[in-house]
Amino acid sequence: MSQSPSSGESALTPAVKGVIGVQAERIEASFQWGIEREGLRIFTQAIMDPDPRYWDDNFAKTTKFGGIITPPIYCTYIGRRTRPGDDDPVTRAFAENPHSDGIGGIRTGEGKGKLPLVPTHLKRILNAGNEIELRQYPKLGDRIFSQAKYADIKERVGKDGSRMLIVTTETIYTNQNDEVLCILRASQIRR
Amino acid sequence: MTTAQELKEKKQTYYDDIAVGHQFSPLVIGPLTPTHLFRWSAAIENWHRIHYDQSFAIYHEGLPNILGQGSWKQSILPRYLKDICLPDGWPWKVSFQHRAMIVPGDTLTVWAAVTKKYEEEGLGFLDLDVGMRLQYDTETCPGKATIVLPIRKGKAIPYPFVPPKKLVSR
Repeated sequence: MSQSPSSGESALTPAVKGVIGVQAERIEASFQWGIEREGLRIFTQAIMDPDPRYWDDNFAKTTKFGGIITPPIYCTYIGRRTRPGDDDPVTRAFAENPHSDGIGGIRTGEGKGKLPLVPTHLKRILNAGNEIELRQYPKLGDRIFSQAKYADIKERVGKDGSRMLIVTTETIYTNQNDEVLCILRASQIRR
Repeated sequence: MTTAQELKEKKQTYYDDIAVGHQFSPLVIGPLTPTHLFRWSAAIENWHRIHYDQSFAIYHEGLPNILGQGSWKQSILPRYLKDICLPDGWPWKVSFQHRAMIVPGDTLTVWAAVTKKYEEEGLGFLDLDVGMRLQYDTETCPGKATIVLPIRKGKAIPYPFVPPKKLVSR
């Protein structure tokens, strides 16, 4: 009989506490050519936002932002794209596992700019909510940098007595002038 | 849906004119189709098959259909708050949780209601309850937000936005 991995001893072990505050390497999330119009068009159409501040130069120049801007959290997505010259992650994932779910094998959770894994036996991951704080809109041509850290890890006990961890990461996005654009705080339940 | 022209011509909403309990005009999106979901997956290169491969979602994952992405929802809320604040306000922050699944055929009503208003360093802050309601009234993305609207004859909201020290929790 398998024992519930989350009953009994605290899941907030010294090893888990040890990663609180750990920062990943600061990386460039954008490609070297920065934010460009075509990526912006694809993104804004996918969120169905026709705002002319994203595409109408003449109008954008008259706004307080002084030029074309991007949606508030655009910078949080641009680092997820496959970089030119990289091995094709889709082909690789399905070559390794023809039944890939499209996530496993494509994003491994390791690599440049990624945080170390939380050293816990709690493997199931659920999204517990996010907070997005905005300071400035990225502009065309901006180069975007990101740095993640484990902001906090707390333990909770479920109604059934099982233990879980609430893991909060904080990722700060900055531009080429090191100005903060956006802060994303994401919480996950590990159980 | 809001048009480009409406966003271009939007008149400023002032802090002075908003009372606690005020409900901003909702944004209605939908009905969503598999193509909307696929377009978002392609835009952000999210290849998780539960969002575009119906047979995988149903027969492999046991889901009722392909699912709308949480990442899409979390992009819509800041967009809606941005629209409320235009042209000179600031959608400072928003937090939310992902609750009910969204599937093709769903229509979402994005909403915000004022729960508190206060001035700090000469700026007008509004705390909001926000969310995205499905067509059968289930809330799929409940959350909280804080926006800043100009005060009539008050100072301009700084850009880039710098939150007052008293309001920064960490």
